[in-house]
Amino acid sequence: MSKTKELARHKRERTWMWIQLMPVMLVLTVLFGGALVLGVAQSLGFAPWFGVNTFPDFSYFAALWGDSFFWKSLGLTLYYAVAATLISLVLGILLALALVRTFPSKAFYKYLYKLPLMIPYTVGIALAVIMLGNGGMLSRLMAFTGFIDDPNQFPQILKTHMGWGIIAVYVWKQTPFVALTIYAVLLGVGRETEEAAAILGANKRQIFFQVTLPQILPGIISSTLIIFAFNIGAFEAPFILGGGFPDTLPVVAWRYFNDADYTLQLQGMATVVSIALVAGVILYSYLAFYRRYERRIGRS
Amino acid sequence: MTAVQLKGVRKSFGTFTAISKIDLDIKSGELVALLGPSGCGKTTTLRMIAGLEIPTDGQILFDKKDVSETAVQKRNVGMVFQRYALFPHMTVEKNVLFGLKVRGTDKAEMAQRLEDILEVVQLQQFRHRFPAQLSGGQMQRVAIARTLITNPSVLMMDEPLANLDTKLRGEMRRFIRDLQQRLGITTIFVTHDQIEAMELADRVAVIFDGNLAQYAAPDALYQQPNSIEIADFMGATNVFEAAITGKSATTAFGALSFATKAADGPAHVMLRGEAIDLHLTEPSGVQNQMQGQVTAREFFGANITYSVDCKGVRIQVTEQSRRMVDVGQDVWLTIPPDRIWIIQK
Repeated sequence: MSKTKELARHKRERTWMWIQLMPVMLVLTVLFGGALVLGVAQSLGFAPWFGVNTFPDFSYFAALWGDSFFWKSLGLTLYYAVAATLISLVLGILLALALVRTFPSKAFYKYLYKLPLMIPYTVGIALAVIMLGNGGMLSRLMAFTGFIDDPNQFPQILKTHMGWGIIAVYVWKQTPFVALTIYAVLLGVGRETEEAAAILGANKRQIFFQVTLPQILPGIISSTLIIFAFNIGAFEAPFILGGGFPDTLPVVAWRYFNDADYTLQLQGMATVVSIALVAGVILYSYLAFYRRYERRIGRS
Repeated sequence: MTAVQLKGVRKSFGTFTAISKIDLDIKSGELVALLGPSGCGKTTTLRMIAGLEIPTDGQILFDKKDVSETAVQKRNVGMVFQRYALFPHMTVEKNVLFGLKVRGTDKAEMAQRLEDILEVVQLQQFRHRFPAQLSGGQMQRVAIARTLITNPSVLMMDEPLANLDTKLRGEMRRFIRDLQQRLGITTIFVTHDQIEAMELADRVAVIFDGNLAQYAAPDALYQQPNSIEIADFMGATNVFEAAITGKSATTAFGALSFATKAADGPAHVMLRGEAIDLHLTEPSGVQNQMQGQVTAREFFGANITYSVDCKGVRIQVTEQSRRMVDVGQDVWLTIPPDRIWIIQK
């Protein structure tokens, strides 16, 4: 084949590749990129449709960050997100490790544990209200069995700033997700390295921390990145099951957006951008730390 | 050095029986190959000796001490896996030191033993590399070093050469044999390759369908298989029906005199292709002559295999490729009586 024909073929292939990528690029650029630019611009005072255009104006961030309740909200947001992520991670790893073993009715359990993945968050929240509320199943069951005299004596789990209900819903939904991810990684890794370590004299703890954990780390990183990013920005669970003011940042943003005063939407957008900044910094640092570890173990 | 004994060992996984019953005696310092086709139970046997599986029935003895229930960590055995099972996140040095580290060995001793073993496996210059940066042969040597550094009483290898190319496989075979003889360590080697088993092992245990079919030295196994299945597995091509009377076997292509003991009655006669001499003229004064015609010729470089039709029976003859006999040529085959093996029915 001549060089000219080869070049023409190469050009045709490149053009076809760009045509194939176009739908995704359009969605990313226009919908996501455009919305991001507009959101940041709005948080900096650009909202001519509300009669506000003071761009660039950092007063919305100054007002937000200067308020002590913002930091309390941020603390609550991070607490729920981190606690739920860590608990889901530990339970997910234990579940995945159990699933690679052979036990009776394993096929049934492999379907059962995935059930929460197919149920929407709002249903999970409703289940939490039915089960964990002061008039819920658990309180009634405890009153019925005599542990407490009256369902009202049941300790408050929902609608407190401890966030047990919120964390419970996140954990219920995300443990199977973590387990699914790590189970897939474990299947890929196989059992041979663990067996080799056992033959070399390692006990179960040494095998897990020195052999298994480093190999399932990519699964841990990807699953925790996804669930943490979700948890930090999730709205429904803290809104319904949270302890009220001070709320988590997504609920704070929703309250601004829902206010009768339209101009407060700029404050809401500053809140949303703050969430994105905090999540971005945390996730970037987490990834950078992990990449450094990967390089150290020769996986660069 | 440790002697290993399997007494009536059986292993079932639910309703599936992987090992029906195996009795095996491995002498101290011996290299034994467990040979058999895929799924015959040889790896399960090895895993039971290692402690990775517990026998359903029977006993595993190390120096006459029952270790059937002893935890894998406490058996002090070593195992080299087919896919090496190196820790991908550790350098060669850390992989090799792993066993000593988890046993809490003194640092100075660890350093000394590391240098010694890296020298044995010739991997000093690769000590800081990760497994992904090594070739198959190098990974295999790391796996061997990682095992040997712990001074195991029994070394086990599960098809360790299966993932290597032909040339490297030959080199590694010699390396393993030299190392085993130098250290005198009791070694059990799983393979489905009869050539590998014969080259490496002092004795070969052939396993078929979860049963020990034959346990013998490589030459005995090759020359004197005790069943047609083993003869077939060991690459025998000339196995024919025969009627035995005294020291004579009557076959479709004529009567053959043999030297071995055999009971009268129907049997199979096995003639190894390389034990048969091919003559272009009729030999005189030689026993066991068969006249025939060359019907096919296969050239393998060093050897040639001829298919010779003797009274409608195809006999394969292998000889060194010092000459080329043409297809269609009339030939005479002879075989010494002591090279004929009778397999009783």
